[in-house]
Amino acid sequence: MSEILFYLGAFMIIIGGICDIFGAIGLLRFPNFYIRLHAATVGTIGGAVIPLFGTSLLALGADFLPHKYAIAGASFVTGVIVLLAAPAGATALAYATHKAKLVKWEPKVDDLAEVRRND
Amino acid sequence: MKRLLGLLILFTVVIGLALYLSLPTQENLRSLGEFYLKNSYFGNYSAKSPEVVTSILWDYRGVDTLFETSVFFLAIIGSLTIFRVEMKKKERGEAKSSLPLPVPVVTKFIATLLLAISASIALHGQVTPGGGFQGGAALAVAPLLIIAAYSKYALENNGLDKTKAIVLRSIGLLGIVLIALAPLLSGGYAMQNQPIFPAEALGVPLGGSLVYYNIFEFLAVGAGFTAVFLLLAIPEEEFKGKGGAYE
Repeated sequence: MSEILFYLGAFMIIIGGICDIFGAIGLLRFPNFYIRLHAATVGTIGGAVIPLFGTSLLALGADFLPHKYAIAGASFVTGVIVLLAAPAGATALAYATHKAKLVKWEPKVDDLAEVRRND
Repeated sequence: MKRLLGLLILFTVVIGLALYLSLPTQENLRSLGEFYLKNSYFGNYSAKSPEVVTSILWDYRGVDTLFETSVFFLAIIGSLTIFRVEMKKKERGEAKSSLPLPVPVVTKFIATLLLAISASIALHGQVTPGGGFQGGAALAVAPLLIIAAYSKYALENNGLDKTKAIVLRSIGLLGIVLIALAPLLSGGYAMQNQPIFPAEALGVPLGGSLVYYNIFEFLAVGAGFTAVFLLLAIPEEEFKGKGGAYE
């Protein structure tokens, strides 16, 4: 049982590392602000939330660890908070930027405009 | 390429300086460090608190921390004086969020969580790392988030305006001073801890006076920061018509 938890947790931490690398590359290479925001969110959700859940599983599986439930609980709660806060922050940023017209709005696909055109 | 060369030179210089200036390693403990290690938890001069940082901050170097706190409060008073705005207008703006739905909902949730987390940071200060200042700083993030997601009127319509924050801050400061002076009443010296205040209650280590200092510091720092944030969030239109100091 503890080995399954260990491998699952370690796998989730590795996923987190990969997501962080992709997020960093995307932040450097994506063309404009809105798409870079997507890369940043990949970095926080994939690169912070999933490893935190992985840490929580890893701690549950580690029998030698003192206070293992405290560590598991703390990382789980932190993961949930980041999971809630990151999308809200990204939404607020994108909304504020769009409203203030700070960045040129050049969508590849604009569903809202298509719906309006068809009406 | 030019930038890379500059970076390389800077890197070499920094590493070279670090190697050149590398300090000699300390072989033996200094006498002061040895005293703290021996006495902070177990010894005769102990504050009876497992968290050595807090006991050194508020016990061994208590007067130092008291003066640091006063400096912080003078800074807050200074910024309050700079922002002296007469609030004659009674009608307040609407406290509605104009942001998309997830933002205010998540803000509500996280602001509530922050109150609990900051209280736990402050109240655990004598047992685990943390303490009054850190807890207060975490507490002040909650009104800041609410100001960002809604507006400052969301706080003011619910009864937390600038005056109340300043009153709370003064209560915190007064509490710290009273706790510092309380031992004088029973024949001790100022800021004395151990024989005066109980070391634990109901099996929980209190660290004597450390827990009270932490609670009042928590209140004072949180409320002080909140007052400054409320002032910083005043919309420009509100005091443009009143004639600022420069007109």
